[in-house]
Amino acid sequence: MTSASSHSHADHHAQASGDGHGHGPDRAYLLREDNITLSPGTGRGLSRALLGAGVIGIVLAGFGSTMIGPAGASHALAALHVGVMACLAVTLGNLWYILLFSLVRSGWSATIRRQMENVASLVPLLGVGVIGICVADLVLGHPLFRWMGEHQGDYLLSKKSAWLNQPFFYVRIVVYLMVWTFLARRMTGLSLEQDRTGDKWLSAKAAATGAWGMLFFALSVAFASFDLLMALDHRFFSTMWGVYYFAGSAYAGIAVCILITASLRRLGRLEGVVTEEHNHDMGKFLFAFTVFWAYIAFSQYFLIWYSNIPEETAYYIARKTGGWNALFSFLVFGHFLVPFILLLFRPFKKRPGLVMAMAGWAILAHVADVFWIVRPSVYASGDFVDKIGVGGLWVDVVAIGGVMAVFAALVIRKVTSGVLVAVNDPYMDQALEHKNYV
Amino acid sequence: MAGRVMAGRATGTIYTTESGVPVYGIVAEYATPADLYRASEMVRDAGYARWDAYSPFPVHGLDEAMGIRRTRLPILIAVIGLTGAALGYLMQHWMSAVDYAQVVQGKNPRDWEAYIPITFELGILSAAFTAILGMLAFNRLPMWNHPLLRKDRFLRVSDDRFMICIEASDDRFDPEKTRHLLEAAGGTNVDLVEDEPEMPVEDDGGH
Repeated sequence: MTSASSHSHADHHAQASGDGHGHGPDRAYLLREDNITLSPGTGRGLSRALLGAGVIGIVLAGFGSTMIGPAGASHALAALHVGVMACLAVTLGNLWYILLFSLVRSGWSATIRRQMENVASLVPLLGVGVIGICVADLVLGHPLFRWMGEHQGDYLLSKKSAWLNQPFFYVRIVVYLMVWTFLARRMTGLSLEQDRTGDKWLSAKAAATGAWGMLFFALSVAFASFDLLMALDHRFFSTMWGVYYFAGSAYAGIAVCILITASLRRLGRLEGVVTEEHNHDMGKFLFAFTVFWAYIAFSQYFLIWYSNIPEETAYYIARKTGGWNALFSFLVFGHFLVPFILLLFRPFKKRPGLVMAMAGWAILAHVADVFWIVRPSVYASGDFVDKIGVGGLWVDVVAIGGVMAVFAALVIRKVTSGVLVAVNDPYMDQALEHKNYV
Repeated sequence: MAGRVMAGRATGTIYTTESGVPVYGIVAEYATPADLYRASEMVRDAGYARWDAYSPFPVHGLDEAMGIRRTRLPILIAVIGLTGAALGYLMQHWMSAVDYAQVVQGKNPRDWEAYIPITFELGILSAAFTAILGMLAFNRLPMWNHPLLRKDRFLRVSDDRFMICIEASDDRFDPEKTRHLLEAAGGTNVDLVEDEPEMPVEDDGGH
């Protein structure tokens, strides 16, 4: 600390003598240049390596599809779909937090919001991934969205044709992507404009966007999850599905934000800007969505288990038999019980190392969840014993790993390309002195 | 009351006022939250344990300034909550799968799914009751009366005054030194507080 900064600390004490404690933030010192920007070139090598590895993985998955049996195309496309949907959930989760924080005028989050914007602004690129999956599915004769192909003429499908028909499906996908892209660009655009102009009223505009944006976000995410995940089995229906996908996205979304801010702190940035108090609150969100996900997942399962209607139970039978039951059990313990118990304890929400470990685990659990949703659909109608496709598991690893590596590379690029906090946020002081008084 | 006066007094001294009433403690007034905060830090650093700060509204960070440790209540809540959940599960399992096993809707009576809602509810119920009752017990509530309520000036802590009262049951309590400390911390109207008189046990026969 320089002498100039300690001087201004003393000034602040003098000003704050009436407020009870007078440990106010020293904004100019905390937001100094070398604390909120990365040195040029940071992460460039890692980003390039991840991008290269990711592209190789995706290409390998493409080759793999021809090598692992008759269901190869379906298998590889489903694996890529897992990767895209898991990463899409992360971006949507972060978009939701931005909308929420703006809507409720949250103060503490001003120092972490820029990182959420960085992730959310990748929505259009994930949109390219979704379109890529849809095009590949179309070209390959619908190995993924089978209701467009081999299941045509099915009685249940004909009853649902008002919604599940090809032209309307593709229009809907485009509409979802447009809604998300618009919301992400609008929210990040307002924030970046505030960086330049310092206009406090831009936060009010963001709050207004948050109000109606939240509604469109909720509807688009729910229906997109119906179309992109639930419709993999056209017989299946669950009114909780949209909330289920949202719960996973908010869970994985905050985990990625935790990882980014913790990594930046490891690089010696955001010192005193993102503190253990912010970790604590992000950790509380992680905890909250651990519980929320389990609550929704169980409620959905429970009602279907109890009512025992064949077109609903088929979904769970495919995911609880033939080897998939192991993954089901893993989700119960790994996505809920173990993180739930650990996150009850404060150090797992606060201490940088531990909270990073919890966040990393959360991302793994989230990918396992999407894997468990998508991949059993490949062999559901095939051999009852080997419904996993063990011989093709390496394709899953390269495909999912590839998509995630590309996503991680893009996140790193985005994070390293600008200032690390929204410097002119009107709530910045509140966020800098944020403390959990409990 | 006598039990509480004796409890913290390792030295065994009982201070009394001139009229012979046992002393509950010494109270001092502070004008602003900032004064209260600094005075609390001084009292904390002087090593007192049995004392309290009184304010019309919550003062952020006062817990730290007073040196109050984090409550252990969460551990109790977790233990009793999880016990309640486990007992809830075992109760249902015993009733529906052991004592009077019945097949309902073709389900195996030993299936775990059907028992989760009640298990969850009982876990929440026991945790919530532990939280509320434990909070009351740890704070020694409900407290129907308090020696400080006999002070007219104390009523101002629900309006515009901040007070610290150091109790005579504190090991470090000393009528002179404690008074000096509170005054040095900026306290005004420093005053002795009389303890509650013992309630008469037998009927006085006066009616």
